[in-house]
Amino acid sequence: MGLGRYLLRRLALSVLVVLGVTFLVFVAAQVVPSDPAALYAGPRPTADQIEKARAELHLDAPLPQRFAAFAAAMATGDFGVSYKSRRPIAQDLRAYLPATLELATVSTLLALLIGIPAGAFAAARRGGWLDRAGGLASIAAVAMPTFFLAMLLQAFFAQGIGILPLSGRLSREIALSAPLDPVTGFTLIDSLIAGRLDVFRDALAHLILPALTLAAYPAGIAMRLTRSAMIEILGRRHILAARALGLSRARILFGHALPNAVGPSLTVLGLSFAYALTGAVLVEIIFAWPGLGRYVSEAVLSKDFPVIAASTFVVTLCYVAMNLILDLVQALVDPRVAL
Amino acid sequence: MKRRDLLKTAGLAGLATFAPSAWSVAIAQDGSRILTLANPAGFPDLDPSTSFSNDGLVLANVYEGLTRYYPGTDGGTATIEPVLAESWTTAADGLSWTFKLRQGVVFHDGTPLTADAVKGSIERTMKIAGGAAFIWSAVTGIEAPDPATVVFKLSSPQPLDIIASAGFAAWIFSPASQAKDNAWFNAGNDGGTGPYKIDSYEPGQRAVASRFTGHWGKAKEGGFDKVSFEVVEDSTLGQNMIQSGQADWTYGLPYDNLAIMRADPDLSVVANPSFETLFGLYNTKRAPLDKPKVRQALSLAFPYDDVINAGTAGLGARAHGVIPPGIWGHDPDAPIPNTDLDAARKLLAEEGVTSLDLTMTYATSDPLEQVAGELWKANLEQLGINLTLQPMAWEAQWQLAKADPATAQDIFVMYWWPTYVTPYDYLVSLFRSEAAPNYNLGYYSNADVDKLIDDGATLAGTDRAKAEDDFRAAQRKIIEDAAAVFILDKPNVHVIRANLQGYADNPAYGHVVFAGDLSRKA
Repeated sequence: MGLGRYLLRRLALSVLVVLGVTFLVFVAAQVVPSDPAALYAGPRPTADQIEKARAELHLDAPLPQRFAAFAAAMATGDFGVSYKSRRPIAQDLRAYLPATLELATVSTLLALLIGIPAGAFAAARRGGWLDRAGGLASIAAVAMPTFFLAMLLQAFFAQGIGILPLSGRLSREIALSAPLDPVTGFTLIDSLIAGRLDVFRDALAHLILPALTLAAYPAGIAMRLTRSAMIEILGRRHILAARALGLSRARILFGHALPNAVGPSLTVLGLSFAYALTGAVLVEIIFAWPGLGRYVSEAVLSKDFPVIAASTFVVTLCYVAMNLILDLVQALVDPRVAL
Repeated sequence: MKRRDLLKTAGLAGLATFAPSAWSVAIAQDGSRILTLANPAGFPDLDPSTSFSNDGLVLANVYEGLTRYYPGTDGGTATIEPVLAESWTTAADGLSWTFKLRQGVVFHDGTPLTADAVKGSIERTMKIAGGAAFIWSAVTGIEAPDPATVVFKLSSPQPLDIIASAGFAAWIFSPASQAKDNAWFNAGNDGGTGPYKIDSYEPGQRAVASRFTGHWGKAKEGGFDKVSFEVVEDSTLGQNMIQSGQADWTYGLPYDNLAIMRADPDLSVVANPSFETLFGLYNTKRAPLDKPKVRQALSLAFPYDDVINAGTAGLGARAHGVIPPGIWGHDPDAPIPNTDLDAARKLLAEEGVTSLDLTMTYATSDPLEQVAGELWKANLEQLGINLTLQPMAWEAQWQLAKADPATAQDIFVMYWWPTYVTPYDYLVSLFRSEAAPNYNLGYYSNADVDKLIDDGATLAGTDRAKAEDDFRAAQRKIIEDAAAVFILDKPNVHVIRANLQGYADNPAYGHVVFAGDLSRKA
């Protein structure tokens, strides 16, 4: 199958997935006991205000009509307003999503750059001290609760030797002296656009600890998966043949064995990226990271369905896109995978 | 202590010994003085018309209202002080209020404060009708006969001087900003007259404001040039920042940790009564709680002092009915019950109640409500009463209570605080008869009480002393009927750096710091 046809098929499937998710979110909003009108009417509304809100939100309209309005809002990227804050959700997402995407992307890259090579080296030196140390580290990374690892990192790097900031996305000094104008919302990119290397360095320094914390779990898993896949592949006949041909060790390891072994790890990393979009609440709170996780968790607690729906929709899109990218990467890396 | 808290505290003990990191800021590179406020919640809406949340901390420094409320301390009477208004009068019938504006006030954009600006601000707020705009519901028209005079026309007598002092929906902003939408304000722009103006706003992270040199008030000597409002949701991080000097003010730390803060010479723990009161409404529509004696027995079985000690480290105060001290209408001599299991047993016997199953609903993740429930449950067990504690998300708890009294909870535990300072808000919302329950979630209905509340409301705009008598009488009746168990008045606990000068809590404005009043000791 050609790349074009494959992409088309995947895109069609993605549309189905997104439609299904939209429908499920809408159904969930109807089933869960709550009164959107009361939420929309503000904190401690009067009965009159609630009735007024019900009319304003067309909550008495027939279900199909409401679903149509809901699906249209999702499709146009308008998303409507939050029941709780009455603010346009698109505006909030523009503020919070870039922070989360930046963190999730950097942490996934870190997990990729740490987990996969470490797994490959561990497999190459199976039973050696590197393998054993790596095994221990990966188990620790997977087993340690996120909040505890976050605190350990803060204690050592921020409080102890003081080379990295404790929390936040940018230093107060920047906000106090010369604030950065948001263009894309990605601080790393915005600082480069503005030609502010000081801000870029500051943003990078702020990213390291939360990204490391988030990367620990997927990196640990990716390492274990890569290691076991590598061990299996290193015992295969084509590797033996490559050795017999006198190829260098590095070439065998990274040129022949690793491409066959990264598949499962890439899948895990893709999943963990999607998870980090809304599941990183603890990390976001501990590092005072103004991201989507905090925004969504507040919406969930107050049953602010337009916000939950819009976030679910956006995360679904990211997830679908990420999976597509990963499949393509896998096809490029592993010659056995056909599109 | 939960496992997570334990691990965090262990970590903290280690952290506290380290020196402040290189990333802390008290004085900027250019030598300007910076006040850093670590707020445990974000600032979701900086629009002065619709803000109705923690954003009050920022807005109260950027915007000003016509008046400000100062509660009476040590039994003194509360006062309403002039801010943008210099003086005010009300007509004999209470249906119109005239405010004379302060002269020489300019907005941050340089335009002068005029009566039209005041009219436009309140009208924008009323038109959008979001947030706390309902406080103006009695206003039928606003007039500006001359640039220094604003007249409010009302449909019923209301204490408009107090309404105008509200911490939400009562801000005055410049004519230019009145034409802007919500997004403009939330992009870090403002149109206030306050001592600080917003420089930048990073949602979910921080807002930074700098001193407005054109402010009408006298700048405090050694006052702060900049204020950094930091969003720090993790209490461990908040504690960390205040201990290391990276923040000057925070709150929301666990009561268990306050002893450590108190022992630190660099910190002060400031505890004051708040206007937030905790109570449990009895379901007066369901047997046997429809009998006052049974409700009185339950209130007699409540361990008031134990809950104050265990739940608030002794900082809370016994509630004297539903109106906390500092609010006019508070009744320090109200006949409140004390814990007395024998008396409770006797009352239950009189009504022939020997065993009982009750359900109490309360907000999930509110440790104070949980402690109150658990200690009460232990006492009730001795009387043969089984109390089931049902934590719920507020939305669900509220929906259950509003649905049908016959299938709802037996006891509804919640907090109440006023939007603007009035006893009427507490009484009318919680205890006045309602055809369909909204906040009267004990379904209490008493014609005498209704009349007292209504009479008090009518008099509040014209004869406040007489209104106060009516509200007190209504409250005594509610206590006598045991419509609710009045658990405690919640303390406001703030941890500040000891070198801050001029710090005072004003419970009328919740967790608000008026940065213009502060300076740092050298």
